[in-house]
Parts: sequence; structure tokens; C-alpha cells
Amino acid sequence: MTTPQRPILLNSCARAATAEEARFRIDRPIGGRAALVLALDDEAADVVDRVAEKPWRGARFFHAGDVPFSQLEAELADADVAIMIATADADGEVAAALARACAERGIMTAGLILGEQLEVAGAVSALRPYARNLMVTSDEDDVAEVLTALRA
Amino acid sequence: MLKTEINELLTHTGPGTPMGELFRRYWIPALHAEELPENDCPPVRVKILSERLIAFRDSEGKYGLIDEFCAHRGVSLWFGRVEERGIRCAYHGWKYDVTGQCLEVPSEPENSNFCSKVRLTAYPLVKVGDILWTYMGDREQQPGLPEFEFAQVPAEQTYTSKRWQESNWLQALEGGIDSSHVSWLHSGGLKSDPLFKGTKGNEYNLNDLRPFFEVAEADGGLFVGARRNAENGNYYWRITPYVMPSFTLVPPRGDHPVHGHFWVPIDDENTWVYTFDYHPTRSLTPEERQAMIEGHGVHSRNIPGTYRPMENKDVDYLIDREAQKRGETFSGVRGIAQQDASLQESMGPIVDRTKERLVSSDTGIIKARQKLRKAVEALRDEGVMPPGVDPAHHRVRSAAIVLPQEQSFIEACRDDLRARPGVAHTSV
Ligand code: FES
Ligand SMILES: [Fe+2]
Repeated sequence: MTTPQRPILLNSCARAATAEEARFRIDRPIGGRAALVLALDDEAADVVDRVAEKPWRGARFFHAGDVPFSQLEAELADADVAIMIATADADGEVAAALARACAERGIMTAGLILGEQLEVAGAVSALRPYARNLMVTSDEDDVAEVLTALRA
Repeated sequence: MLKTEINELLTHTGPGTPMGELFRRYWIPALHAEELPENDCPPVRVKILSERLIAFRDSEGKYGLIDEFCAHRGVSLWFGRVEERGIRCAYHGWKYDVTGQCLEVPSEPENSNFCSKVRLTAYPLVKVGDILWTYMGDREQQPGLPEFEFAQVPAEQTYTSKRWQESNWLQALEGGIDSSHVSWLHSGGLKSDPLFKGTKGNEYNLNDLRPFFEVAEADGGLFVGARRNAENGNYYWRITPYVMPSFTLVPPRGDHPVHGHFWVPIDDENTWVYTFDYHPTRSLTPEERQAMIEGHGVHSRNIPGTYRPMENKDVDYLIDREAQKRGETFSGVRGIAQQDASLQESMGPIVDRTKERLVSSDTGIIKARQKLRKAVEALRDEGVMPPGVDPAHHRVRSAAIVLPQEQSFIEACRDDLRARPGVAHTSV
């Protein structure tokens, strides 16, 4: 073991983790996350529409049924996370195609499945291979919560 | 990212704060039982949820947890004498029992009943397992005693340690929910720690550094599943339960004992971490117990006579740059517990969550915060009993299991995630 070296100033040792020293943390604007939010079924589309009304930094919202896949692919060009929103009737095929497109571009994928665990079991297994991070929740607010947490 | 108001809502737990009110609905650890080893032993100063208290064990073995300061002129009862069913203040001899009731005011006439009008705040203190638990809320709402499995199994099957962490409780808890750091920060321990090494699960852990995560709701909190690739297209799942407000279990490894933590706010800038290891069906071996005492596994190596880890912020956590270079430890800090604590303390006493850049693998943390916020608001605005109060919610287990791709861990493991007395845990 190396001899611990005695710091010259308080801020050059671990004891600088005080509230006072927190004042000296560099403060500068923090960038957001360019999120593409995709509703995979009709019920999810309603939720996404409600969430889309809130102010977001750069999140873009789509319904899988309404946009041609080529447009989604184009939108991925400057996205860095793709978030799929689903309920019990989610379509696994769109999820698979989107996940492939994301994998090619190195874009993170996440999925939020709304409903009670038992009812959405099918959607969960359809999405599991395609979303690196899946959340099963009965609370619609989680969609906005996750987007806010990600600075979307 | 959290807004400043929400960060404050979740991190402040003193009397009268909404989060403090939430914590006061649960039985929470107040002391390690070893701190009051016998009747009439010296009293112990305890601070939890920003309240200063004194704990003592009277001549009949009853535990008391009362206001630290004497009603007469505010002297600390830590100097008091524990004798004949009470604690007597060292200054003028006022005496209190475990309910905080004043029994004697020696300066008053012998037939005075003035003392019956003096009572200090007192909370129940009950031993379950190796822990003395307290309930600091409204007596009418007091729930049944804790039923966490680690505290229910016979004494030979369980071990609990305690350490002081110099940070807010929430950033400590978040470390327990976030299993994505294990393959990094604790990679050294997976290979060498006597309480971890030599299991199949570790290979999966170290071979696949990019787990997929799945978060599911549980009655008392959450289950966070992390899956990695196993053979033949199967998945290796590690499932971490979180029981509100601040209990987490680590998924098991082979036949090693299972461990977990209870994170208890001392005040807004300090936390007691109770760390346990238990085996549901067998006694801990002498070697395992010794390893835990020495601070292996998830336990800490404390300065003798204290609950302060040797690797603490005053000594830069004894960081060993050569061990870091050799890859024995990822951060240079010895021991899983202080690897976590050193990083969490470095964030500052209460981390400024307005500045974070969370990623989607932080979903477990995002969801846990959301559940806490909703529970705090529901309690404050509508008096709704929060998840995790009902002792039935305590009877959960962690699990490590290999499953076919299409299976949902939450359904395949329904039984494995329940505490079942006498049945071994599910582990790889
Ligand atoms: S201050 Fe305690 S008896 Fe006087
Ligand atoms: Fe850790």
C-alpha cells in the first residue's frame, strides 16, 4: 500500500466533499438527450399525445402506425435514445425493426410498457429482446418521469 | 435529473418534512442489538431522522428510546445512570423509565406527584434479529413488526454489521438499486472476495458488461432485473428487490449467503447503513462469519469500538493506486462497502440532482424516486399508507437464475422472489 500523501489544501483531499465545497463545482449548461419517442399501439399513442403537450427540450413523438418507417429511420440520424411506449397490444415487429435500426447506429433503446404485469406479459416478451431497458408500470406518469430524468 | 424542489422533498427527513413523515410510518433500524448488550448497560446516543435520542436497556431487559435531553435543564442523559428500571440524569437526579415517563424529581417533597406530569418523547424499541427497531410515528398507525427474512432466521444463519456513511440516505440507497455499477466498481471483488468468488454467476457477470435491465413494480416497492447472456441463447438474470423506503437485497451468488442493506437517515447529511448476510437454510460457517467480521463481502472494516470504517474520507479512503493499477481493485479502495461509500460521499452531502445526466440504464433509480415521491405526496395529501409498511411486503427475496429468452423473470420467479422458510434461495 502506498503511504497516503498529506494534502496541502482541503480541496485536494476527499474531505472536500462538504456542502461548502460544493459551491466550487463548475456550473455550466447541461445538454439534453435527443429522444425519439415512439408509440407502438393505439392506446400508447393516446398517452404519447398527452405527454407530447408538455414542454420538452428536443424530444420528438411519433405513432408507429402513422409514419412510414423510412421517416423514423431519418429521424434517428440525430437521436441518441429511442423510447418505445406500449400497452398490451404492442406490435413486436415495429419494435424489432426500430431496434435493428438503432443497433446499426449505436443508439440506446428503452421501452415503457403500460399496464398490469399479467395483462402486458405478451408485450413484454415481444419487446424484451429489443429494449435494453424495460419498465413495466401501471402508472402513465412514468413516461414523462423518464423523459424528464433523461433531460429529453 | 430532478428539480431542486423534488430533490429536497426526497432528501430531507427531519421532523415535519414530508419525507420525514413517510419514514415515520415504518419500523426502521435504530441500533445494532450489540450496542445494548445487557440489562443496565451504559446508554447509547442515537440520532435518526434528525432527532437526538438516548437508548437504554433497563434492569428488566426493556429497551427504551427517549429524548436525549433531560426535561429539567436540558442535560444529555448520556451521562445518566441506568439503574432500577430507569435512567437517572447525572445533574439533579431526575429519573425516567423506558416510556419517557419521569419517575422521580428528587428535589420535590416526598409526597409530590409533580413527576407524573413530566414525560419525555419516547419511541418503542424492539429487538427483531440482530437489530433494535423503532417506530417514530403516530401510535395509532403503528404497523406490525418487521418480517424481513434476514431478521427472522435463527441467529446462526445471519450476521449484521453497521457503518456510518457521510452522505444523504438517498444517494446511498440509489447505489443499492443500481446494479449496473457492479461489473465495474466491484469487479475486483467478484474474483477474489471469499464471500463472492467461485460461482458460475460471476462468470456471466464479468463476461457481459452491458446488461439489459427490466424494472417491475412489487407490492412493497420494485424488482429490478438485470440480464446478461448465458449459454444457448438463455439469459442469466439477477433480480434486486427494493422495499420502501430503504431496504435493498443483493442477488445471490452460488451457495454464498445472501446480503442486503437497510439505509437509515441519521440526519440529512449522514446515514447508518445496516448490512446483513444470511442463508435461508443453513448456518453460516465459521469462515464465513469471520470473513464478515473482517469486512469482506459487503461489510466494512471499522475502526475498533466505532461504526466508522477504516477507509473513510479523512484518510482519502486509504486509496491504493498500485492495487488499482494491478486491477485488484477498480477504484483503488479496499472492500465493496467503502468502494460504494467513497464514491457516494464524493458526490457531496446531498448530491445536486439538477445536474445529473441520467441514461436509460438508470431506469431503476428513476422509478424508485418516482415511487418515493408519489408515496410522500399520497401520504401528505390523502393520508394513504405507503407501500412497504405492511409486514407482508417484507417477505421478499433476491434471486439469480438462468431462464429461456422468452420468459419473464417476474412470472418465472414468482415463488423464488418470496421468502419461503426452510426453502433454499434460487441462485447460480
Ligand atoms: S438537568 Fe437533568 S436533573 Fe437537572
Ligand atoms: Fe456497490
